[in-house]
Amino acid sequence: MRGLRPLVEKEVKNLLRDPRIYIGLIIPIIMFPIIGFVISMTTSQAMEAAREKIKVTIIDEDGTEASERFISLLSDSGLNVTVSAKSLDEAIKSADKLGSKALLVIHRGFEESLKRFGRVNIEIYSVIRSVGFKSMGVQAAVSNVLKRTSEILSSTLISRVAPDVDPEVLRNPLNVTEYSVVKGKIVHAPSGSIFGQLMIGHGVLVPMILFVLSMTVTQIAATATAVENEEKTLETLLTFPVSRYDILLAKLLGSSVVAALGGVIFAAGFVLYFQTCFSGIGLEFGVGGLLTELPPPPSLSYAILIVSLILAILFVTSLGVVIGALSSDVRIASSLLSVITIPVLLPSLLIVYGSVDSLPLALRILVYAMPTSYPMIMAKEIILTPMPMQVIYGIPYSAALTLIVLYAASKILTPEKLLTLQYKIKLRRMKKERRWELE
Amino acid sequence: MAERIRMANDRIVEINSLVKRFGELTALDEVSFNVNKGEIFGLIGPNAAGKTTTLRILATLLLPTSGRVRILGYDVVEEASKVRRLISYLAEDAGTYRNLAGYEYLSIVARIYFRSKRDIEEAVEEAVRISGLGDRIMDKMKTYSKGMKRRIQVARALMTRPKIAILDEPTAGLDVFHAQHVRDLIKRHISNGGSLILSSHNMLEVEHLCTRLAFIHKGRIITEGEPEEIKVMYGASNLEEAFLEVLKR
Repeated sequence: MRGLRPLVEKEVKNLLRDPRIYIGLIIPIIMFPIIGFVISMTTSQAMEAAREKIKVTIIDEDGTEASERFISLLSDSGLNVTVSAKSLDEAIKSADKLGSKALLVIHRGFEESLKRFGRVNIEIYSVIRSVGFKSMGVQAAVSNVLKRTSEILSSTLISRVAPDVDPEVLRNPLNVTEYSVVKGKIVHAPSGSIFGQLMIGHGVLVPMILFVLSMTVTQIAATATAVENEEKTLETLLTFPVSRYDILLAKLLGSSVVAALGGVIFAAGFVLYFQTCFSGIGLEFGVGGLLTELPPPPSLSYAILIVSLILAILFVTSLGVVIGALSSDVRIASSLLSVITIPVLLPSLLIVYGSVDSLPLALRILVYAMPTSYPMIMAKEIILTPMPMQVIYGIPYSAALTLIVLYAASKILTPEKLLTLQYKIKLRRMKKERRWELE
Repeated sequence: MAERIRMANDRIVEINSLVKRFGELTALDEVSFNVNKGEIFGLIGPNAAGKTTTLRILATLLLPTSGRVRILGYDVVEEASKVRRLISYLAEDAGTYRNLAGYEYLSIVARIYFRSKRDIEEAVEEAVRISGLGDRIMDKMKTYSKGMKRRIQVARALMTRPKIAILDEPTAGLDVFHAQHVRDLIKRHISNGGSLILSSHNMLEVEHLCTRLAFIHKGRIITEGEPEEIKVMYGASNLEEAFLEVLKR
């Protein structure tokens, strides 16, 4: 083990200074806040647009006192109203010319219907000039003004029929206060909020970070090993007085350290994304608000999460070393990596967006076959089920599979085997390329 | 035990009836030769003669198909980890870690080979001196020229004070100045009590550098001896002529 420390140092230094690695690591911390800023900017624009006086054109076919009062009500509610006496087609052209966002038609019989307590018909023709958040905001604002006006009309009508009754009570006779019961504890929040927090925090955010961590660590380990082949340094390394296990362990540790750093940067980027996204539109971002009211999971749950995570990382790193060792250059390693991306990606998506128990058997087997699935399941279930049985069983399985891959990796770390395997892979690739050329 | 001590004193490398096959191809066919203490032994031959395969087996990188290869009495297959402590190997196309500085690389290698801080510092100091890279030793190796990379690799191979240094084409691709520098380093290694085996297809270099040599062709040793001895044996004025004469016969 004497040679392990300098070998790990070599791995970490060489990786962190490699543009192929560090550019990939720093992109999330730059990219996510930029995306968040763009989203918050466009949302702010939409809200800003909704606050401005919106131009609308109205055709008043009724021409009664009631319809005029309705028009002035719309005007008081924040619309810049232009009344048109033209036909529908002409009014549409005129609305377009005037820059109106919508054309409203009050049909004949408006006042009469109101007097009879009947429904009145209003038609809206939205004038769409562009597609974007701003246009969406404007159209939503017009609908809101109409909704508010409808409520005022409704209150007036109710007051006329029953002057002593609160119109709001009549409209919504049920006063509902929502609570949620989680693990026997009453939480003062509707179930929707709990689902929202659990879904975003534990159901999406954490599994996504774990997925990115898995892919990053595999890619780093594969690239680091393939670079040794490409730059012809592996041969020298294998003649040093260190065991094959030390060389392998140094690769695993070096790649894991760098990938963990990548994971932290990714998580920071993600948090920054939410912060820029929500703060831009005046909302508070905080993970865990309602969840802090729940009893925390036992520390054993966290221990299981950490063990399953370490095993998953060891597994994918060993896989990365095997892929890198079999590749005579980084290009081949990248192609081979895409082969294992799918079996890691698919279970991750199934875990994030669905319930594993309700999956068809084949997909369930695929999910449970990947050691990377267990920390994701654990992270998702930790609040509601602190000890998921599938994860408990998954730990010895992951450990066994990881040991097998580690053993295989140490066995192929001999030039005798590497040269033969690399030659076969290269030959197969050349044959495939030649076949494509012929086709 | 007595034999092992004797071998440790005199015979550094002992190769007997070495055969290496890659599928149908026989790369080495009954190769036998010895390297003694203080010798610079040259393995000479054209491309694909079997030089690199022999050196890779000595460096514990490849396994022999049959035959016996020992370094200071240790079998390269059975006792590979002990052999690795006695040797250092320089591959013909050995690369460098692009993102490490030359100094960092030498320090890392020294820490693998030596325990005490003093030994590590001495080894690195020696390597820095013999590499002749001056202040450039602190630069990343991706900025080095081919000659500089080769010099740092030679320095790496010799700084560990190996009992036997195995150098595959140590001056390949180097200009005359750098090649001369590397030859000086090799001679210094011998004067410090080391032994060395090298491969080359540069006959002139071998003639001036090696104390003993073997001609290898199509995986077989065709002649072995001191350069002068071989020249006299085949009535040649230089090793190149001698090699062609051997092939003719």
